[in-house]
Amino acid sequence: MSWQDEIDEVNKRRTLAKQQGGAEAVAKHHEKGRQSIRERIDALVDSDSFDEIGQGAGVPEYDDDGNLSNFQPANFILGFGKLNGRKVIIGGEDFTVKGGSPNPAGLRKSVYTEQLALQYKLPLIRLHEGGGGSVGGTGQDKNRRPLGEPVFSTSRFLPLAQTLGAVPVATAALGPVAGLPAARLVASHFSVMTENAAVLIAGPQVVKRALGHDLTKEQLGGPQVHLKSGAIDNLASDEQDALQQIALFLSYVPDNVWSFPAHQPSADKIDRCEDELAHIVPRNRRQPFQMRKIIDMVVDQQADGGSSFFEMGRKFGPSLITGLARMNGHSVGVIGNDCMFYAGAMTASAAQKLRRFVDFCNSFHLPIVSFIDEPGFMIGPDSEMAGTIRHGTSAISAVLQSRVPWACVQVLKAFGVAAQAHFGPDAYVLSWPSAASGALPVEGGVAVAFAREIAAAEDPAARQKELEDMLAASQSPFPRAEGLSVHEIIDPRETRPKLIAWLENAQAAYRTQAPQPYLTTMRP
Amino acid sequence: MPMRIKITSEIAGQVWKLLAQQGDELAADAPIVILESMKMEIPILAPTAGKIIELHVAEEDMVAEDQLICVIESQ
Repeated sequence: MSWQDEIDEVNKRRTLAKQQGGAEAVAKHHEKGRQSIRERIDALVDSDSFDEIGQGAGVPEYDDDGNLSNFQPANFILGFGKLNGRKVIIGGEDFTVKGGSPNPAGLRKSVYTEQLALQYKLPLIRLHEGGGGSVGGTGQDKNRRPLGEPVFSTSRFLPLAQTLGAVPVATAALGPVAGLPAARLVASHFSVMTENAAVLIAGPQVVKRALGHDLTKEQLGGPQVHLKSGAIDNLASDEQDALQQIALFLSYVPDNVWSFPAHQPSADKIDRCEDELAHIVPRNRRQPFQMRKIIDMVVDQQADGGSSFFEMGRKFGPSLITGLARMNGHSVGVIGNDCMFYAGAMTASAAQKLRRFVDFCNSFHLPIVSFIDEPGFMIGPDSEMAGTIRHGTSAISAVLQSRVPWACVQVLKAFGVAAQAHFGPDAYVLSWPSAASGALPVEGGVAVAFAREIAAAEDPAARQKELEDMLAASQSPFPRAEGLSVHEIIDPRETRPKLIAWLENAQAAYRTQAPQPYLTTMRP
Repeated sequence: MPMRIKITSEIAGQVWKLLAQQGDELAADAPIVILESMKMEIPILAPTAGKIIELHVAEEDMVAEDQLICVIESQ
């Protein structure tokens, strides 16, 4: 007796599963300029490397003779794949079946995604496009009341949380993403959305009924909202760009927290010293400069001449720059102030961004290079209302509890309490000649602290200038170097070779201990 | 097709200098206004070459985050 009939049934089911929501639904999806989840997975992973799990999961339909007549596949596709030769777990909703709103098998597969990544300790990629649950529930039989999960079951949100402390998680929103898929989307270390994506807790109709706002889903949760809200890190010009950003992000991080990031050979010169660094900071402190240019000149250049700096979260808390880069082929986390936004002051959102980034670097054993131009916490009523002092102090706590090596390059300002958020423990501190440190920048501080003396002077403006010049001299980096408050004052052109020499030593010391998960304590 | 681009301010501040007027043709990256914000001079640049067809601020105006500064028509 052969099992051929059953084997034929297996093949039939496989064929039906690959039809997704049917030719019509897939064509409609393509018309919107979007790929199906199977096409997306194929576009991202190495060819023929996708090893699917649960292809047979779905809802069958039988004819009167008990033969399988149709099959609605689970609307979440999941499996192992290889990304540039490296194993990953990849999954995503199938929008062509019920708009990605989970059917029972789809829900189970989506929940299993995180468990699989945890079990195999592999990077996790989720490509999202789908709605959340419906008011009717996901039960197969609408005539019966939904039973729900048994009281002794583990919440599906626990593995979602656990992955962040175990493996790198990169996600994309490639269309409308609402409810549960939106929660999965943001439970990531790096997230990206396309121009035509929208991320929503609830869609326009629900919002209109509850609150009376008449908004499109793009107005509610398009890129202009969620890049600034910080829910999503980066914008992608199209789906291909989104997948490339995910691949790039993963290239900087190890497979899991029990591993160190891999070294990639660098073609860039260790002793490359860029002349522009010597004059990029204007002597007139009212004039801004481009911190990203400094970062690009210091970190590795790639073979194509581009910078290895990959920025994440540019629009959220924009006074602080965060991203990944390579120094002589080693992965590092990079932070820097952007004085184009409120002189680089720490806002509540910049503080949240910093805390999250520092925890991320600690989780994946990335040394941190900090480029400093910090005037202090953002001031004023909006800043007070945003709770900046608490978020800022939380960021400082995260920085000072850090265990990875830190190097700090004081480019210009380091003032007030917020300056502490840029110097990790046992940091290697380099100061540019342009550096200025103290409790308050002279520009704002002198007029307030010496108000009476200035007012009483014969020429108040001249007295203010005299006081400012005197105090500016005391904020110079030279006395700090004399007191060994910095390791070195350097010619800015030496920044790259100095940092690379430090990194070799610091990383060797750090790697004498086995990599471990990073657990943090309560913070302000 | 000419494209209209709305230029908004990413920061709050005060218009310190207005460097262009309605009707001016600008090159890409040309400064339109310089805001004073947190004691610094922050330029707002033309994202692309084009003509200023609407200008919504004057010197010394206070500008809020996301406030419309001007509209540029690019060819």
